[in-house]
Amino acid sequence: MSRLFALVLGLALTVALLFLTIPVVALFLRVPPADLASQLADERALEALGVSLRTSVAAHVLILLVGTPAAYLLATRSFRGRSLVLVALELPLVLPPAVAGLGLFAAFGRSGLLGSELRALGLEIPFTELAVVLAICFVASPFYVRGAIAAFESVDPQLLSAARTLGAGPARVFARVALPLAAGGLGAGSTLAFARGLGEFGATIMFAGNLPGRTQTAPLAIYDALDEDFEVALALGALLVAVSLAILLTTKLLTTWTRSAQTSGFPSAASRSS
Amino acid sequence: MTGAALVAGVAALALVPAGCGDDAGAGDSGPLVVFAASSLRDVAPQLEREAEYVFAGSDELAAQIRDGADADLFLSASEQPVADLRAAELVDESVPFASNRLVVVVPKANPAGVESFADLARRGLKLVLGGEGVPAGDYAREALAAAGLEAALANVVSLEEDVRGVLGKVALDEADAGIVYATDVAAAADDVRVVDIPADVQPNVRYFAAVVGAGDREAAEEYLERLQGEAGQRILGDAGLTAR
Repeated sequence: MSRLFALVLGLALTVALLFLTIPVVALFLRVPPADLASQLADERALEALGVSLRTSVAAHVLILLVGTPAAYLLATRSFRGRSLVLVALELPLVLPPAVAGLGLFAAFGRSGLLGSELRALGLEIPFTELAVVLAICFVASPFYVRGAIAAFESVDPQLLSAARTLGAGPARVFARVALPLAAGGLGAGSTLAFARGLGEFGATIMFAGNLPGRTQTAPLAIYDALDEDFEVALALGALLVAVSLAILLTTKLLTTWTRSAQTSGFPSAASRSS
Repeated sequence: MTGAALVAGVAALALVPAGCGDDAGAGDSGPLVVFAASSLRDVAPQLEREAEYVFAGSDELAAQIRDGADADLFLSASEQPVADLRAAELVDESVPFASNRLVVVVPKANPAGVESFADLARRGLKLVLGGEGVPAGDYAREALAAAGLEAALANVVSLEEDVRGVLGKVALDEADAGIVYATDVAAAADDVRVVDIPADVQPNVRYFAAVVGAGDREAAEEYLERLQGEAGQRILGDAGLTAR
């Protein structure tokens, strides 16, 4: 009976593994590596990669700058309504991207909720690179904030209060104790958010539109090239897979590194982190 | 017993991916599958409610048919996508069945004050068109060129994947103007206003139908006959299309 059970588990894993990896492998089989480079030299592909890189980096800086202190607050303080705040911050994770795009229009569009205020500031956001950045921030930041909260929560609070009793102010405790101890988890959340942002499609095409050289990111270019230049679409797709894979591997390494640091140095934190 | 049930369940799951690839073959007795240009969204279902419809940009539909999609009939908003499929021997000879015209749509409030086709070339206006290869977009560029309004191309803020994307951005009042087919306007009649495009720069927008070789030919030809018959042409006429 137990052998049968083991067989069932093994079979399930095999099915899952095959189903999830075959499309990725097949993608690479259709693009010979030699062709990959020449297709990526295509001007449109380069432009789209440029837009993707610029907007992803800009969005990521914003996510880290705002997300880190926000996550620290949520991880170290308990207050009434904290769960509601957490739910609100995670909502974009489960929203269909097209709904996210509509929501961004409804909020920041020129006839949106904040449209007239933005216009008074001379800002018209839709169809600009800023719109791409906002779309990425909206869909990707929950990935970072979630990871960052968990990372800060796994820091032993006794270490923080010890630093406090030794005379460090709260800002110093955050910068010199909490940040370094949470670095591994923060890095893992950060890479996940970056990867999600890089692949952003639905909210971007709704809110920022699709204009080569301005708002057309790599995922939009893939969709655009499908009907005209299938090879370019495949090559761009393969490149995104490679980048995402590298990002995921980094995340895994960072997580492993954190865990081993915790088990060697701070056993109490490690036991709470799972 | 539970163990055996589990095994059966997992085995059934394992078979799913294998079974998925098999239903692309011809001869299934399901409903007629019509791949139709987005601009026919409100028209085609009136002709035959029982059929299954897939609406998208004509070029995208052609790409799907090329990839073996399960279509019986292809209704394209321009000749090129059908001609390409014909060259690959994937569809039968195509027949024109209707023609359409382009119009400019602006948000109800008309924030940029667009009153004529020529206004599209005014600097700073936010114009949305269909992308390269999307018939509505290619026709729009043709019309702009015919009117000597190439400057309008610098006003383009987004190239949409199909004509409904163009209409949506205008209806949301985020773009100042877009170019769509006359037949699309009804879908957003409450949110947009129409500015006519002069007849002398109107491109020859013709719709072509083709029976897909691998599909259910008999049902597709029957549909095509009805489309070209009196009832079909009346429905097309009511929707703002002119009989070919």
